[in-house]
Amino acid sequence: MVAGKDKIDREEEDMTVKIRFFARFRELLGTEIITEVTAGTTFISLIAATAEKNSEGYQAIFDEKGAFRDFVILMKNGRRIDIADAAKTSVNDGDEIAVFPPVAGG
Amino acid sequence: MLSERELERYKRQMMLFGDEGQEKLKKAHIFIAGAGGLGSPVSLYLAVAGVGTISIVDMDIVDQTNLNRQILHFDRDIGRKKTVSAKEKLEAINPDIIVNAFDVKIDGRNAADLVGEADGIVDAMDNYPTRYVLNDVAIAKRIPLFHGAIRGFDGQATTIIPGKTPCLKCIFPRAPPKEVFPVVGVTPGFIGILQANEVLKYLLGRGHLLTNRLFMWDGLQGHAEEICVERNPSCEACGGRQRQN
Repeated sequence: MVAGKDKIDREEEDMTVKIRFFARFRELLGTEIITEVTAGTTFISLIAATAEKNSEGYQAIFDEKGAFRDFVILMKNGRRIDIADAAKTSVNDGDEIAVFPPVAGG
Repeated sequence: MLSERELERYKRQMMLFGDEGQEKLKKAHIFIAGAGGLGSPVSLYLAVAGVGTISIVDMDIVDQTNLNRQILHFDRDIGRKKTVSAKEKLEAINPDIIVNAFDVKIDGRNAADLVGEADGIVDAMDNYPTRYVLNDVAIAKRIPLFHGAIRGFDGQATTIIPGKTPCLKCIFPRAPPKEVFPVVGVTPGFIGILQANEVLKYLLGRGHLLTNRLFMWDGLQGHAEEICVERNPSCEACGGRQRQN
């Protein structure tokens, strides 16, 4: 978003968000994806649409009902988002979203 | 008091933190949960740094498939208990420290006793259920938990100080499914040394600990970054306790 644009322009324009995957999710889906979304897009729909490009990646993040697997960690602009809230939380222009699993081995 | 031999052995690091720092290390007792991929570099580097007492716990026997990463154990150790192998190597690399080795599975019943009077716990485990047990013990004893974990070329680490930082369960409330994880030795080598570095900084009171931040390492990119982590006020492991403070 260019600074100084007025509100009407903003509503008509697509928003840009950045999704960053880590660890195993990164292997399957890539490091950093910058994508355009329309206003009102929810967290879960955005990540699902992005992950669908790789079925193994999608299955690593979502269960068979399309819900986030319970161990998945979601962050928006450095703050934790509860996966239970991901369906009702909308993304905003310029958001940076991080998606990662707990790394477990030793 | 440091012996003549110790003064000579630690000469180069005492240029950094003096005999006062070295005495702090000598008086310290660190509990290392696991003598595998992470536990190997952690224990070796804490041993050579002169951490006076190291307790190390593992329930496994050395297997050939361990040897690509578990550098405490040699080919000749295949079939021996990891604790026996670990104690032998750590005492050989530094005879001036005390090494306690416990051949037992850590669980909710024995963990507090095993940790005893240790000044800190190093998480060198390979599963979250046991990590959560260690997290509970760290909270109950109010001692730090130095977390590390690895998979493939990826690793993560954070230092948990009960009452001051999020606990492990605040950061990772749910365990991922168990798997036979792929790993190359350099990854636990890297993360284990980071954990050992955290332990030394904590004991010496030097530098900035990896507190309130999760260090994430991508070995394939040669890239590290940090994510800020926060306490969960309703955390089932530490929420209530921290609110009381």
